[in-house]
Amino acid sequence: MTNMRKMTLLANFLAIAIVLNIIESAIPIIPVPGAKLGFANIITLIILYVYSFKDSVSITLLRVILVAILSGKLLGVTFYMSLSGAVFATLAMGLVKQFNYFGMIGVSTIGSVFHSIGQIIAGIFVIGSTAVIAYLPIMLLLSIPAGALTGLIAQRFYIIWQSWHNTITEIKIK
Amino acid sequence: MSSKMSVKNKRDLLLVTLLFTILGGVFILFRLFAFQGEASTANIYYGTSNNPIVTIDFINYRVLNNYDQQVPSEYTDNYPIIDEANRTVTLLGDYELNGERQIVVIEYNFGAKSVQIIQEQSPNHICSREGISTNFPLICLPNRIRVEFDTTDVDFTV
Repeated sequence: MTNMRKMTLLANFLAIAIVLNIIESAIPIIPVPGAKLGFANIITLIILYVYSFKDSVSITLLRVILVAILSGKLLGVTFYMSLSGAVFATLAMGLVKQFNYFGMIGVSTIGSVFHSIGQIIAGIFVIGSTAVIAYLPIMLLLSIPAGALTGLIAQRFYIIWQSWHNTITEIKIK
Repeated sequence: MSSKMSVKNKRDLLLVTLLFTILGGVFILFRLFAFQGEASTANIYYGTSNNPIVTIDFINYRVLNNYDQQVPSEYTDNYPIIDEANRTVTLLGDYELNGERQIVVIEYNFGAKSVQIIQEQSPNHICSREGISTNFPLICLPNRIRVEFDTTDVDFTV
């Protein structure tokens, strides 16, 4: 029963992440190559806290691949950039969460910083030049408020989730 | 539990503020000191190649076509197209619209020693929105075309 529930919820989270990712790529906010607010990262962060690191990685990878397929850009330049960014961010957030020193906002901010670094590294390979590093300072700077904002949203969600989750478990016990 | 949360939130706030300050400082220093000086040449590259297809020589007022861009046979034009009257260089980008690769038009200005990407197709038009550049690299990632400058800092060489 719990497994079924988890599976359904993860599928729902994946759907939300895909929608967030697509909506976000339609609105250019930041004038830097490939830079986005990273709303889909909210889901990665939530799954990391609600479930596990493993689930978080798999949902994030599925999200990146499915978004690429849906937008018809599988194995394109943007695909590699978002894949690299997402992998770096997820690994960094999983690691920082292990230390249990920072809260969700801190974890999210560090993830956001690593997302930029991952994207720039992918960019270096895509064009075979380190000239992309010129965009790193602005991307890193913008990643801080973006990461803090997504972390704040995820934290709000997690607090509500916890109370909701506990009510459901209580009902089951009764 | 709630006090533990607030301790973590305080650390978060500290981390965010600290990172923002440090990276803000790095960004300001970078804007002030990196990519300064006048450009002697601007090199236009395609793909992962480190050999420029076109070199714009700002000192001798020349545009050098180093070699032709490799394009699939279904594209009839030869690239790069160097238009000296309009001062533009046209290359074929990687970004596809309806299965067809799109052109990237780069405008150069000998007097201002500057380059600007005036036409390209991409989701966010980041490289053309970058505007006129005299030393900061212009990178069209979805098109895999980039313009890099060779700068000789006059202040230090004299």
